[in-house]
Amino acid sequence: MASETSSGGPGQNVLQRWAERSIRNPERVYRAMFYVAAVFFLFTTLFPFYWLVVLAVTPNDLIVNMGLAPRGFNVEAFVTLFERLPLHRYMLNSFIIAMITTCIVLVLGSLAGYAFGRIEFKGRRPLMLAVLAVSYFPPAAFLLPLFRLFTGNVSLFGVSSPVVFNTPGALVTPMTALFMPLSIFILTTFYSQIPDGLEDAARVEGTTRLGALFRVIVPLSAPGVATAGIMTFISVYNEFFFSFMMTDGQVSNWAPIVFGILGYQGQYSQFYNLMAAASIVGVLPVVILVIVAQERIVSGLTSGALKE
Amino acid sequence: MILNYLSPVVSPVTYRIERLSPTQFAYLLVLPVLLIMSVVAFWPLLRTFEISLHSDQLTGATAVGEFVGLRNYVALFSGDRAAVMPQPFLNVEEPLSSSLIVTFLFAIVSVAIETVLGFGQAIVLDQDFRGRRWVRTAILIPWAVPIVIQGMIFFLMFSPGIGFAVEPLHQLGLFSLTPLNDTGSSLAIIVVADVWKTTPFMALLILAGLQSIDRQLYDVARMSGASRWQQFKTITFPLVLPSVLVAMLFRSIAALRVFGLIETVSSCSTVPSLSCMVVSTFNSQRFGTSAAIAFVTAGVIGIAVSIYIAKFARSERGAV
Repeated sequence: MASETSSGGPGQNVLQRWAERSIRNPERVYRAMFYVAAVFFLFTTLFPFYWLVVLAVTPNDLIVNMGLAPRGFNVEAFVTLFERLPLHRYMLNSFIIAMITTCIVLVLGSLAGYAFGRIEFKGRRPLMLAVLAVSYFPPAAFLLPLFRLFTGNVSLFGVSSPVVFNTPGALVTPMTALFMPLSIFILTTFYSQIPDGLEDAARVEGTTRLGALFRVIVPLSAPGVATAGIMTFISVYNEFFFSFMMTDGQVSNWAPIVFGILGYQGQYSQFYNLMAAASIVGVLPVVILVIVAQERIVSGLTSGALKE
Repeated sequence: MILNYLSPVVSPVTYRIERLSPTQFAYLLVLPVLLIMSVVAFWPLLRTFEISLHSDQLTGATAVGEFVGLRNYVALFSGDRAAVMPQPFLNVEEPLSSSLIVTFLFAIVSVAIETVLGFGQAIVLDQDFRGRRWVRTAILIPWAVPIVIQGMIFFLMFSPGIGFAVEPLHQLGLFSLTPLNDTGSSLAIIVVADVWKTTPFMALLILAGLQSIDRQLYDVARMSGASRWQQFKTITFPLVLPSVLVAMLFRSIAALRVFGLIETVSSCSTVPSLSCMVVSTFNSQRFGTSAAIAFVTAGVIGIAVSIYIAKFARSERGAV
């Protein structure tokens, strides 16, 4: 840097002064490094979204060999995409499946979370570990038996299993099992922190055991319940494996958003602007959820790993 | 006494529940979860293992053929089963075409990069500055992007003809002109996509570790004249290391089951991950082979899980 600054000029003087001050006070260098890093991370995070917008607003015939800037501005793709495939219905299917799963996970997870968090009982730790361990197995290891179960190919005492393939049940059940453990973990942590006195007071006043759980413990743990709910909803909406394997991809057969997006790639493989526009539409709900509920998500992500 | 007073007004079921011992009550509460888990998780796991001990049956009424013991596994590792799979399971001579190696390569490389970048992001987010909440939100967004859309984004970046990145990277000699049909290039793209989406997860776990460090330690270090680097080396790094290791383990477990990203960006025959092989043998009705690959995948992850559980058990005992 010294050789550069020797040539003089006002620009170099600024640099020189900055360098001199930095040597005297290294904090300035750290501050500068910090800003460079922050800008770098913001850029790498947001650039892919910028690219989606560029593709979505560029008319498709101008997309070939385009650079980094949009060519023209045309929001028609956001209308056309719904004419080609009913993306809104795929998204609605995903929403319904995610809502049902979230409700089941919260109710059953609350019961188990109460037991694990507030009752000392024999076999508590091994049971909890067994439940937690499930979520780490690959979905592929459950696929084969579940697929045969859901297509009515498994029989117990001569009664074959009901056919739930192509219904919400085929997606809700495996995802409930897959995402239940994290919620139980979050709820257990929150429920165990409620002081015993509050529950005892409610019980003395004549509340039943379950009443105390749902009228005292759950409301007092509202942030924890919200965290578990939001984490489950996002996880189901984002899931790929079971979404891909457990329906035949027809929108009338409860195919979720995975098939909506893949549909543009498969059937309209030359319409890159539609793929980009569909991706933007599909990602909006979760982006809004992140902006609104980031505190809860951060707490959910970290409690899953650190509250051991 | 209260119970006797209550009994006429509450239903018999509620009354029964009130009379249970705490242990009985706890088991009653856990029962629904255990039932669901048994049907949808525990039973399928055991059944997958059982199926993996049977031969493939392509025709006929039953799904699998006769009991063959561990022969499916032997065939997988010796390469005898390669002919019925889109790509071999294990082939040391052509590492990029064997699913076991590709899966490990993907997991190791992506988790390593995510750890380094995640550490960087965590340090940035640990600073006090205006607009920190917005930077944190922005960095968190990729984590919430559905896998299929994550895949679509990187498909659109690297599609020949439209992706801006293909031409320059080809000129540098790094990528072929059709990177999405080439195993090496596709693997690199999938690693980048995975790093983009999951670094926030890593960063937040490390950030939680950073924020649990007692700030007074830094005051003491500054008093005694330690430089920033010395502070990092002697305070930050050792104290945050446990969180980093847990985060790496979680990420490795998730990376080892990669499927959707590959299916969307490239294809399972170009980048053969273990989960990919399970699905493609499943689709060709080779259930015995499919189950065996699935169980190898589960076994690999199971090793990682048991490391975690051992650690969990130890820290739990230490806390009591």
